[in-house]
Amino acid sequence: MGRLFTPMTRGKKRFSAVTALIVAGVFLTLPIILSVTALAGGGGGGASGPPAEVLEQRKAAAAAAAAAGETVEGEEVKIETGRDVYYKTEGPAVGMPAPITADNETFYPRYNFESRVLLWVANQQHLYYGSFVLAVPIFCMCIELAGMISKDKAMAKKYDQLAYDFIRISLTAYSLTAILGGILIFTFLTLYPAFFGYLSSIFRPVMHIYALTFVAESGVLYIYYYGWDKMREGVLKWVHLSMCVILNVIGTVLMFLANSWIAFMMSPAGVDEQGRYLGNIWHVLHTALWNPLNVHRILGNMAFGGGVVAAYAAYRFLSSTTDEERAHYDWMGYIAMSLGVAFLIPLPFAGYWLMREVYAYRQQMGITLMGGLLAWLFIIQATMIGILFLTTNYYLWQALGRMTGGERFQKYIKYLVFILVVGLLVFITPHTIVMSPAELKAMGGQQHPVLGNYGVMSAKNGGINAIIMTTILSFIWYQRGNKVPTVSWSKFGNIFMGVFFIVAQINNIFLACYGYFIPANVRIGLSVPQVAGTLSCLLLMTPLNLAMLKGGRELGPIKWGQIPPRSQYAIIMLATAFTWMMGLMGYIRSSVRLFWHVNEVMRDNSPWAYTHTIGFAANVISFNVLFFWISIMFVFWLGTLGAKKVAVSKPVSDPVPAGASPQPAAGH
Amino acid sequence: MTWLKLVEGYMPMQMITELAVCILFFSICNYLLKKAGIGVPKFWAGILVWCFINLFYLKYRIYPPIPFSVRAIYGTVSACGIFMWVSGSQEEWLEFKRPIISVLDANNAFTKVLRTALLLLLPLGLGAFAYSSLLPSFDEPIELRTVHPAPPATTKVHGKTYVLQTAQQPYRIDTEGKYDPAYSNAHIVDQSMGRLMKDVNSSEDNPWDPNAKGYIKHVREGGEIFFQNCHFCHGDNLNGRGLWAFAFNPIPANFTDAGTIAQLQETFVFWRVAKGGIGLPGEGFPWASVMPPWEQHLTVDEIWKVIMFEYWHTGYYPRTWD
Repeated sequence: MGRLFTPMTRGKKRFSAVTALIVAGVFLTLPIILSVTALAGGGGGGASGPPAEVLEQRKAAAAAAAAAGETVEGEEVKIETGRDVYYKTEGPAVGMPAPITADNETFYPRYNFESRVLLWVANQQHLYYGSFVLAVPIFCMCIELAGMISKDKAMAKKYDQLAYDFIRISLTAYSLTAILGGILIFTFLTLYPAFFGYLSSIFRPVMHIYALTFVAESGVLYIYYYGWDKMREGVLKWVHLSMCVILNVIGTVLMFLANSWIAFMMSPAGVDEQGRYLGNIWHVLHTALWNPLNVHRILGNMAFGGGVVAAYAAYRFLSSTTDEERAHYDWMGYIAMSLGVAFLIPLPFAGYWLMREVYAYRQQMGITLMGGLLAWLFIIQATMIGILFLTTNYYLWQALGRMTGGERFQKYIKYLVFILVVGLLVFITPHTIVMSPAELKAMGGQQHPVLGNYGVMSAKNGGINAIIMTTILSFIWYQRGNKVPTVSWSKFGNIFMGVFFIVAQINNIFLACYGYFIPANVRIGLSVPQVAGTLSCLLLMTPLNLAMLKGGRELGPIKWGQIPPRSQYAIIMLATAFTWMMGLMGYIRSSVRLFWHVNEVMRDNSPWAYTHTIGFAANVISFNVLFFWISIMFVFWLGTLGAKKVAVSKPVSDPVPAGASPQPAAGH
Repeated sequence: MTWLKLVEGYMPMQMITELAVCILFFSICNYLLKKAGIGVPKFWAGILVWCFINLFYLKYRIYPPIPFSVRAIYGTVSACGIFMWVSGSQEEWLEFKRPIISVLDANNAFTKVLRTALLLLLPLGLGAFAYSSLLPSFDEPIELRTVHPAPPATTKVHGKTYVLQTAQQPYRIDTEGKYDPAYSNAHIVDQSMGRLMKDVNSSEDNPWDPNAKGYIKHVREGGEIFFQNCHFCHGDNLNGRGLWAFAFNPIPANFTDAGTIAQLQETFVFWRVAKGGIGLPGEGFPWASVMPPWEQHLTVDEIWKVIMFEYWHTGYYPRTWD
């Protein structure tokens, strides 16, 4: 729509842009203003006492009791207090206790189907789309900024077009997110009314803030998208980018609020043992696992969003009929995948922090996750992580093929394959092996004397760090694909980089072995120098490589679009693995509560308060993944309807002409 | 292939090193053959490497035998690795699939026969596989045992409640009688092969020294309790191979393995010893443990002491969360 507008004068454009920014700012502050009003009205309550209406009710009840002769004249109305289950502070018991449910239609109305699975599917679909639409604007922000600061006009235009392509995809997905959110709430209300009623009573002060934040997100998103053309140049472009920043701030707040609910269910705070709200909303929000979950989810969303956009590009690449289209979508897939992988690398460390906090919160929860009932699901997760890294490496090796000079690295691939495969085998070797009693007897015990050593954390840290380091090396090779460093110190630089990688890998393997000979608390600390070695490879070697390549001799152009289709299938696999892993980890996180709706506060008395078998869980996760990809294909297809066809011209080599990319439609 | 020893203490790295040496050897051989103009085609090289790793090395070199589920995982991952290798570059991929395309195209008599044979054998093989899968089996079912289920938050032993996350081993003390894990960690047996005592002449390292006191004296008391009660199943070397061990399946826990007590908090072991197999929670399916609830036979002090002996003897440190 934005691109059909008739040309406006510069002054008018500026006025529109500033107005739009103000509107966006108002949208941003609206929930805060309203929340202050709500909290002042008793929603939050603070620690000072129950809200006025509650006191009034209690006074009225006391008066009625006095009238009936049950109290002594002059007795004060007694305010019951409770002790916070987490913060251990005293507070007025403002809320009602958590309902004690029973297996009947009142507490758990049901269809002739397992309610938990229905809720699971609704929740997961909402989460997939929510993650996607929260991640994409962050990419847009980065890409738009890259375009704005780029001195190369053609590249700037390309980046701008790419950012626009990204946001266009997410817009349809945004509508679906809202629809799925509605379905989720209806599912809660119809199948788990008692639980949802309790949860909403606890989060009452922020429930509407959440809804208003969603409205604000929508408003800013639409202004950002439809204002793209009007704010294309000069200061207006910066205004446009600012709106994207606002959009992301709102999106992050939105996600943090949603995270607080699941964090509360896992590690409740701000309530007493009976589940009564103690008047401090910050305690309810700021539970033991809230922040680790927030960080983990931001990174996870980014990696997932990058994967989905890359899959879109791969799909468009495979269905392209012209060289120009192939070149554009090859480049788009590369950018999206790079962004996704950039957030994938720190993701295991954020996950490590989350698990550490889980152990600190409840040891049993940690053991159930990592060593007990759900441990095998973590082996599946490790396998998925391995697939992600292996696929990333594979894509980079394929991408070397589109560069003149890339072939000089390809002959060494087999050595990288060996390190990756050995690292992965160690990483996924289970501690608890699936075996028949006969195999158990033949093995002579529960632990295998050789492989059993791979089943514990020390070896696994070594395995995953070896994989990540190899991925970084692949990336450095990719950066060098068609370039040769010409700086005077290039020989020294190459030797230094080689030695650095070898030392980092030796350090990693040595610490993995040394971990068996030291106390557990020291062993856990060993992960720090291991990770430091890996991150040093990433944060020191990559810039060093770029510095060496600055002004380097080009062996030839990057032939965008001339990459084997296998690479695009690898991208699709990468995105599918992201999706599957998200579904799996969501299930693990949720099922660790075992038979609690809210851990140790509200018990789940439904007939489904048991842990599913691994096979059943895997099937539901696969169904969710399939459903998501079918629906997102629909979204992609809608995206193609909105794109103009590009006239076929000459074959494309580096760089991709800006105008060669498919132009967006006149409206969404 | 037990004649070629796996050296205890070095087995995990030995396996990886052996595999790396074998792969390097194959690479060198192939390089030399290529130089001589008779290099192994990529298709067969891939198949040979996979067969070597999975059908020879993992099956016959590593002992005791690796359960099928793990070999299946390793087989799949190594197949993926080999695919990545043979398709790493477009030229290699073309070289790899050349024999496959050649058979499918069937441009000569040999490939025609081969293609016909494959097209006949492939469905027949799949049919045979489906048939054998559907045949009733009398094997014991495969089990996924939860060896270390999550413990309860608290456990009550001899009338006293212990919070497992915060309880402390009362005998892990220094010479002055203060709780000091660092002190006891410094006086466990040597970590290297053989796990010998650090200094047999020291009253701080030798539990049998008449002047031993504090931590190391309690280790001796724990050892006495162990040999009176536990070694029949867990073995005099604490490796789960006691006199009665092979009457059970699984055999009792091997404390010298890095995956048992080395991974656990002392309070977890205390709970398991006190409550035994019968006290395993629902999560501990299929509850394959015949250990008696030792709280019926030992005092709380005796349980703590025997646990300390187990850590001292194996050279492992109990897990802590700080």
